[in-house]
Amino acid sequence: MRRLRQFIFILVAAVAAVAGAPRAEAAKDELVIGITQFPANFNPLIEAMLAKSYILAMATRPITSFDKDWALVCLLCTTLPTIENGLAEIEDLPPDHEGPYKKGVALTVSLHPEARWGDGTPVTSADVVFTWEVGRHPQSGVGNVEGFRRILRIDVQDDKTFTLHVDRLTFDYNSLNGLWLLPAHLEREAFRDPIEYRNRTTFDTDTTNPGLYFGPYRITAVESGSHVVLEPNPTWYGPKPHFKRIVVRAITNTAALEANLRSGAIDYVAGELGLTLDQALAFEKRNRAAFTFLYKAGLVYEHIDLNLDNPILKDRRVRQALLYGIDRETLVAQLFAGRQPVAHSSVNPLDWVVADDIPKYAHDPARAKALLDAAGWSRIEGGVRHNGQGERLALTLMTTAGNRARELVQQVLQSQWRKLGIDVRVRNEPARVFFGQTVSQRRFPAMAMFAWISSPESVPRTTLHSTMIPTQENNFAGQNYTGFKNAQVDALIDQIEVELDRAKRKQLWAELQRIYATELPALPLFFRANPYILPSWLKGVEPTGHQFPSTLRVEAWRAAP
Amino acid sequence: MTRFLTQRLFESVLLLAVMSFVVYGLIGLMPGDPIDILVMSNPELTDEDARRLKALLRLDEPIHARYLAWAGQALTGDFGYSRVHGQPVLTVLGPHLVRTLWLMGIAFVLAVAIAIPVGIIAALRPYSLTDYAVNFFTFAGISIPPFWLALLLIMLFSVQLEWLPAGGVPFRADAGWLDHARHLVLPVLTLTVLSVAGFTRYMRSDMMEALRQDYIRTAWAKGLPQHRVVLNHALRNALIPLVTVIALDFGTLFSGALITETMFAYPGMGKLIYDAIMGNDYNLALVGLLFATLLILVGNLLADLAYGWLDPRISYR
Amino acid sequence: MTEAVLRSESLGLLLWRRFLKHRLAIASAVLLILLAVASAAAPLIEAAMGTPSWETDLMNRLAPPSLAHPLGTDELGRDYFIRMLYGGRVSLFVALVAAVTAMLIGTLIGLLAGYYGGVLDALLMRLADSVIALPLLPLLIVLAAIDPTELGLPDALVRSEEFSIYRVAAIIGLVGWPRVARLVRGATLSMREREFVRAAEALGAGAGRIMAVHILPNVLSPVIVATTLSVGGIILFESVLSFLGLGVQPPVASWGNMLTGAQELIWDAPMLVVWPGLLIFVTVIAFNFLGDGLNDALDPRAIER
Repeated sequence: MRRLRQFIFILVAAVAAVAGAPRAEAAKDELVIGITQFPANFNPLIEAMLAKSYILAMATRPITSFDKDWALVCLLCTTLPTIENGLAEIEDLPPDHEGPYKKGVALTVSLHPEARWGDGTPVTSADVVFTWEVGRHPQSGVGNVEGFRRILRIDVQDDKTFTLHVDRLTFDYNSLNGLWLLPAHLEREAFRDPIEYRNRTTFDTDTTNPGLYFGPYRITAVESGSHVVLEPNPTWYGPKPHFKRIVVRAITNTAALEANLRSGAIDYVAGELGLTLDQALAFEKRNRAAFTFLYKAGLVYEHIDLNLDNPILKDRRVRQALLYGIDRETLVAQLFAGRQPVAHSSVNPLDWVVADDIPKYAHDPARAKALLDAAGWSRIEGGVRHNGQGERLALTLMTTAGNRARELVQQVLQSQWRKLGIDVRVRNEPARVFFGQTVSQRRFPAMAMFAWISSPESVPRTTLHSTMIPTQENNFAGQNYTGFKNAQVDALIDQIEVELDRAKRKQLWAELQRIYATELPALPLFFRANPYILPSWLKGVEPTGHQFPSTLRVEAWRAAP
Repeated sequence: MTRFLTQRLFESVLLLAVMSFVVYGLIGLMPGDPIDILVMSNPELTDEDARRLKALLRLDEPIHARYLAWAGQALTGDFGYSRVHGQPVLTVLGPHLVRTLWLMGIAFVLAVAIAIPVGIIAALRPYSLTDYAVNFFTFAGISIPPFWLALLLIMLFSVQLEWLPAGGVPFRADAGWLDHARHLVLPVLTLTVLSVAGFTRYMRSDMMEALRQDYIRTAWAKGLPQHRVVLNHALRNALIPLVTVIALDFGTLFSGALITETMFAYPGMGKLIYDAIMGNDYNLALVGLLFATLLILVGNLLADLAYGWLDPRISYR
Repeated sequence: MTEAVLRSESLGLLLWRRFLKHRLAIASAVLLILLAVASAAAPLIEAAMGTPSWETDLMNRLAPPSLAHPLGTDELGRDYFIRMLYGGRVSLFVALVAAVTAMLIGTLIGLLAGYYGGVLDALLMRLADSVIALPLLPLLIVLAAIDPTELGLPDALVRSEEFSIYRVAAIIGLVGWPRVARLVRGATLSMREREFVRAAEALGAGAGRIMAVHILPNVLSPVIVATTLSVGGIILFESVLSFLGLGVQPPVASWGNMLTGAQELIWDAPMLVVWPGLLIFVTVIAFNFLGDGLNDALDPRAIER
């Protein structure tokens, strides 16, 4: 058996040789970012996906976006069109135009004069018109057609200037956040057969084509499922980016992601798609010195939708008792080190329209019990409340299976409600079942816990307006999953949308929040915070807190000496 | 021999066809189509848009109609496009398949290369200390949750000792083969540990069984040296049951690859198929699963051929 | 045993080592019984300790072991010892139910195929081959995501917290039978040619009776060994399903989902990972030792030497 021993020896030696090879010293002109998702495709108009917009924001830009202080700013345009500066003009809609809106708006926009695609072709009004044609085409497979259809007409003034005629005058008339341009000179051929566009787009057939990008970096290599490499784009018109190379690696398992950060295989874990908050907090305890930790609470509204058709939840007192019965302050303080603010309504405390004088529900078990007694759930038998008809106070609480943070919160809430005699049963489903059917078709029997991600001052038309309740008849359109019907709220939403005066709008918003906090169609829990874990040498990363990623300012990122 | 092979091939093709329909139907039974999920993530999408997109992706047609349309195209070699990736299915699958084959192939060869000699040693000295040690380690190997093993290996070799990268693939364009190899060590090690244990146990018991046979006793009696008896006579017979087990194990190796690929962020086929199923990418999930089935069938076919080579008494009629 | 090997070992040593081997199986059996009893008694122990397994205490998260909490508390301040016991209850239940389901289906199919032979045999064995050839894990993903109410199961059952336990057990059981079926078929084929079966047939006994009374008892021992060995594999598989988010769902605890849930805390509270990992490891290895021991005890050739 000597040969066997030799064989084993050679095997061990080979492993040791491979293991002992020198580690490449990470230079500071390279940044390796870890995220938990890999973008399945790269066309900015097809299907919104966080990983995709995170990477694309380094290589291309929408015309406008919100900055880190949640103010609307120009990214590809030169001046934000407003009514005040005359670039936005109110106009009458054509007489045959259908719909609830009476007035439209004409926006005159100038593209940045230096903006050029990576192959040197200038970014022009022709690209805008082409993008609009693709976007509104019924067969192109674009997700957000509605945004493009609102544009009735585009008048091209010159190569860099054009006027958009929009079919409604809302307070956010000048936001063009969804307008990511496609390079007409590369994409026109692919769009010749619109129905095949999503399979022919250059973004997926030739992702590293420089002509697709005009941002500070451009994509130079893609290894599907593993990583994307970006390098500086010479045609970029803004400040020169610092890094010679940015690598975005996808590691879906968060424990493995953390291990990669510890081993130095990645430099930075993005908050947008990174570690869970409790994981980051535990990591911070031991690694304060080498890393900078940023926790940005944002427009991710974690809440529990209540099915208002449920006979138990129809009673407002029960809904209020449910909220009084849970200790959100302690939960946030203990589980999330106070990094996630408790929500009192769907409006984030950082949003300028937030109102303070609304009903708030601090933990008050006595009050919760009194409300339940008043609602008829007074007889406690075997630890569970019953009403006069002998029915149990039993509710099902659902959420996405495998989302650990939600599962933990869910179990705390269940335990706290149980002490009040409310029998809450947990039943979770994989995300695609939960969102694909249970929630969107209102099949959840009582409570569904999930989050809304939004932009600043986003009007809750789809979630609170009574015309937005999904039913079999309307083919399950709308996102008013609770089945909330309130004439006052309907009127407020209609008014807010078209009110241009900020002071008046703020009043309307306050009224809306008061009704929301009184009626409680949903139980507000908290606003989620994203943990950004930066190496101490990385500067200039500014978390946004809204749905637009921090990479929209990637040119400001640099390595400190 | 030819007739046998033809029959097996025919069976395999039939099985693939049946599988394709079963899988197609199963994926169809999963609730929530991709457009429903899209509506959820995009508050501005109107109902009309949703219906338009469904029509575009033929999601509004009944499942058997969609299957027949797909199967008709597949027969002409056109497997369609991945909905999510916007690319032909084979273009998406190809690189991932190659990576998984590398990973599984190396792990498989290593596992067999270790299992056979170790199994023989244990079988030659049953109930000795060596045997007990081998026994214990092989039992330990089949008793560890795979993702736990992966995490422990990452903690030890990547974080504590800093010897090896925690998986992934090198991203520098100029990465040499050594760099590629370094990235492969931990995932391969994990997969090897998972399968070597089972193989060794079978090798040991099959070898002991073979050594009990009369012709081996005769060989001993003739005074043949140990290595000739063991390697020339017993091993051949002991390998036959092992080959069966290995062929049956192909499927397990594949699921092991999914866990390994997830933990080591390795862009392989297991992870791709998992994501395709979860993301409701009909074509990709379907073709991926069929490829996996094909692999198992090919494995079984190879096992059948190996029998013939190992045991001349088995004849194929 | 070969002479060459025998020469190197005295008979006494051989006996002692065989005894040791069986002692390992016996020790495994004792350990498993202890685990099963402790798990079954979880509600009693819970009542005696006065720490309900569901009660969270956010002020007492990740507490170190103490008299009140022998293994400390988890990330929600629940007693980890009691949760481990409840987790064992679920994991062992899933594994046993799935293994027995597979055994029953496999035995029935194997008996039918082996006894009747012909077309039925060919059909059943091709079915078994296809189930084996299926890439298991991806299929389980598909099966686990299907809405059970569409299969006609009662709403009340589907909506209960415990439903995921039954689902996991049923799925594993339904795909695990082919190995048993092959085993039983092989044994049945050789049995049905034996004289006593022939005699029973000649005496006019029905096929069902022959299979149940004459064949079944004789093919049972390899089935029992195979089933015991499969239990360990199923416990592992349950943990893999949990890792993929498709296993037993919280708040119901299983060793698999406790291990998965704690993996992010591996640096901060390593014991939360070590305990479920260790129990899975020990239980699986014990089932394997037990199966091995049973194999030796029930296999006449193994004792011959």
